[in-house]
Amino acid sequence: MADFSKYEGLLAGEGELRIQENRGTDIRLLNGNIVANASSSGGGTSARAYRDGCWGFASAPETGAAAAKSVINAAAENAQLLAARLKRGAGKLPGLPVSGTHDFSTKKPRRTRREMLDFARELDAYIAEKYPDLKSRMVRIYALDMEKTLLTSGGARAYSMTPRALVMVSLSCGGAAPADLSDWWGGFGEFGDRFSSPKRLYPQIDRLYGHLLCKASGIYPQGGIRECILGPELAGILAHEAIGHTVEADLVLGGSVAADKIGKKAASPLVTLVDFAHTALGKTCPVPVYIDDEGIEGRDAVIIEEGMLKTFLHNRESAAHFGAEPMGNARAYQFSDEPLIRMRNTAILPGKSALEEMTASIDDGYYFMKSSNGQADSTSEFMFGVPLGYEIKKGKLGRALRDTTISGVAFDVLGSVSMVSDEFCWTEGMCGKKQPIPVGMGGPAIKCRVNVGGR
Amino acid sequence: MKTVETAKLAIKELLEAGAEHAQCLAVRSAKRELNADAGQISLLRTTTDNELRLVALKNGRRGETLCNRTDAQSLKKAAREAVESALASQPDAAHAIAPESPAKTFSCGPKQPDAERMIARMEEYLAQSAKLFPSVIVEQAILDFTRSESVLLNSNGVVLVASRGVYSFMAVFTAKDGKASSSVNYTVMCTDNLDGELLGLGSLKTLMEQSAGQIYTHPVPGNFTGDIIVTPECLDNFLEFLTLRALRDGQLIAGTSVYKDKLGQRIASPGLTVSSRPAKMPGGYFITPDGYAAENVAIIKDGVLQNFLLSLYGSRKTGLKRVANAGGCCVIEPGGQSLAEMIKSVKKGVLLSRFSGGAPSDNGDFSGVAKNSYYIEEGKIRHPLSETMVSGNIPEMFKNILALSRERVNSGHSIYPWIKFGGMAISGK
Repeated sequence: MADFSKYEGLLAGEGELRIQENRGTDIRLLNGNIVANASSSGGGTSARAYRDGCWGFASAPETGAAAAKSVINAAAENAQLLAARLKRGAGKLPGLPVSGTHDFSTKKPRRTRREMLDFARELDAYIAEKYPDLKSRMVRIYALDMEKTLLTSGGARAYSMTPRALVMVSLSCGGAAPADLSDWWGGFGEFGDRFSSPKRLYPQIDRLYGHLLCKASGIYPQGGIRECILGPELAGILAHEAIGHTVEADLVLGGSVAADKIGKKAASPLVTLVDFAHTALGKTCPVPVYIDDEGIEGRDAVIIEEGMLKTFLHNRESAAHFGAEPMGNARAYQFSDEPLIRMRNTAILPGKSALEEMTASIDDGYYFMKSSNGQADSTSEFMFGVPLGYEIKKGKLGRALRDTTISGVAFDVLGSVSMVSDEFCWTEGMCGKKQPIPVGMGGPAIKCRVNVGGR
Repeated sequence: MKTVETAKLAIKELLEAGAEHAQCLAVRSAKRELNADAGQISLLRTTTDNELRLVALKNGRRGETLCNRTDAQSLKKAAREAVESALASQPDAAHAIAPESPAKTFSCGPKQPDAERMIARMEEYLAQSAKLFPSVIVEQAILDFTRSESVLLNSNGVVLVASRGVYSFMAVFTAKDGKASSSVNYTVMCTDNLDGELLGLGSLKTLMEQSAGQIYTHPVPGNFTGDIIVTPECLDNFLEFLTLRALRDGQLIAGTSVYKDKLGQRIASPGLTVSSRPAKMPGGYFITPDGYAAENVAIIKDGVLQNFLLSLYGSRKTGLKRVANAGGCCVIEPGGQSLAEMIKSVKKGVLLSRFSGGAPSDNGDFSGVAKNSYYIEEGKIRHPLSETMVSGNIPEMFKNILALSRERVNSGHSIYPWIKFGGMAISGK
């Protein structure tokens, strides 16, 4: 729990003080060998100062009042140095500060290193015994706790402890047509809150193995523009990579094609796309942000509403530039990072169609289920690696697909959406933009037309 | 506490906590970083940090703790955690620390940033960009200087000390004309001085000039099999399949590497010679994470695989030779043709300047989108591309090298020529 008192009165002028520690666990078993068994902690104090339109930042790996004073002074000196040289001048930054405590630490006894290793070993033993024909198997446990204490000159006092825990499994088979496939489970919450017993993951591993066998005897898709269903995982990454990034206000100022689309048609009327702060569809999101790292309350940003582009994503400075309200999108990854404009939980909202009905409506196309990675750029042209999918022939799922890539211009692809499924799920990932940051990505399945990289 | 004292105390704490063998890598770094956003200087940062990597071996079991606190109490706690992690693990005869070697000290680069010059060079870069390329927006530019002091000690008596100062510059840019935008492009370079203009580093000027001409694009006509010329900035998309995956611990231990039985055999066209030279490059390193002084290493010579990139653990696990560095900092020897001659020789293909692709599968199959790239037909560059996909198999691709350029680009962390590959599947909209 935070003790703000020792830092009170230290901030002078517009600025923030953040004391943060990230604590991690990384365990990896490769074919039964423990190839990683590490714990990590990285913490310290940082400050950011705003003077006449220029920012200064400083950080040090120490904590306490003396460290806070030192980094506050260094940040102010950096801001003043730029301000004196650039003579820019700038008005007040918008946004009402809020205070609050959001501690999601486990209420149970924390899992020990031995318990987590035993969990990984039990999963590995299950895979090794049940599927001895596999060429290789990797079991990984990854956990990250982010603990932040924030004070702003505007009056925000915020404490948060946001944990996440993941179990990842990768399987490879050999033979004439080698193939590999991965999946992960978990997300928001400490390891003990997410995973009670390895046995509960056995059905998911069995499904993963089943898909792998299908993929090993699968086909390469036919290249070109094809009618497809993007499963929830791909719809989520489409929302994040291809639309979300183009509407981040810093990228808009940097030349994004979304700059001129506010108030205009950007997608099919079936599409509503929201960057949720902390709660969506009645449940806590994978990456809940109640108060951001500028001390602003996290609120939902409706990016596309029934096909119309409504807003960009802002920090306080870009909100001032565009005359908008900041919604809590300024986030930093480590104590030594300054807050950047970041998405939180970006999702396409579910529609009314059943997945079976969507599949039945396609005569010759594909159902893409998983994404290995994704990128997009300022034009909204995107690319996603697809390690798992099936062909659709005459309204029915057919043979599995080997690794492929799909691409398109996101605003065009969303314009082609003709059906949206009534189911919805979240995935979680790390987004890269100067700093990494955990993000949630969600969606239903969508029927659309995309460019498929075939052979 | 000095970095070397921190490392000594960490080794003492590890041994007192019960480790039979101990290793500590301690790094202290200070960074000054100037940021520009949307063509304007926006932020000045000064940061300091520590990195402590403590390794404990006990009864053939290994535990590791990473932290950034260097006070005595934090070191004791981190050492205890590393030993507890080891005890919770399982024995593996491949775990080891480096044997005793002569103590070595390394140093390179400036000791302090030239802070005034950093700001002046950034202002100059932004002004030149606005003047020379008015349609190009510098979305973000970051110029930083990092000075790091690294000490690696282990309980076998290894003592390696290195200090390094390096400037790094990254620019991200997009061209805009009315409502139309080019694809975003970027480049990252390292240097040990700011004697020259930032725009003169690597290929930055060429890439920005190209961006201005990449606002209006078309796909390639139809689907075809053709040649691609991969630029130095784009080459790591394909080379890293070898240097980060197929020649490394993970795939060689798992037995999934396509190169597992290929040491000493031809894996690429005869013209390809690749080495890793970390010590001399501004973006390089002196010490490997497993406790050795980094040396230059031949990876491929005239198409023949010379070395796997195995760590000490990977080496002991597979029974193959340990590589004498930690990879990266690759240098590819130049070829005999000019880039202009290479383009002239392409009947139908793509000049691939940036590649946005899915992670290749273990066997090297890949596909992805050509970005900031050009269609070549009958030896001439025709137009910039959009919605064009390139696919193939990386091991096969390296066996189908048709030419390497005489010209190379030195980014400070690699030195690469342009490489022309034949037989690639290219598809338009």
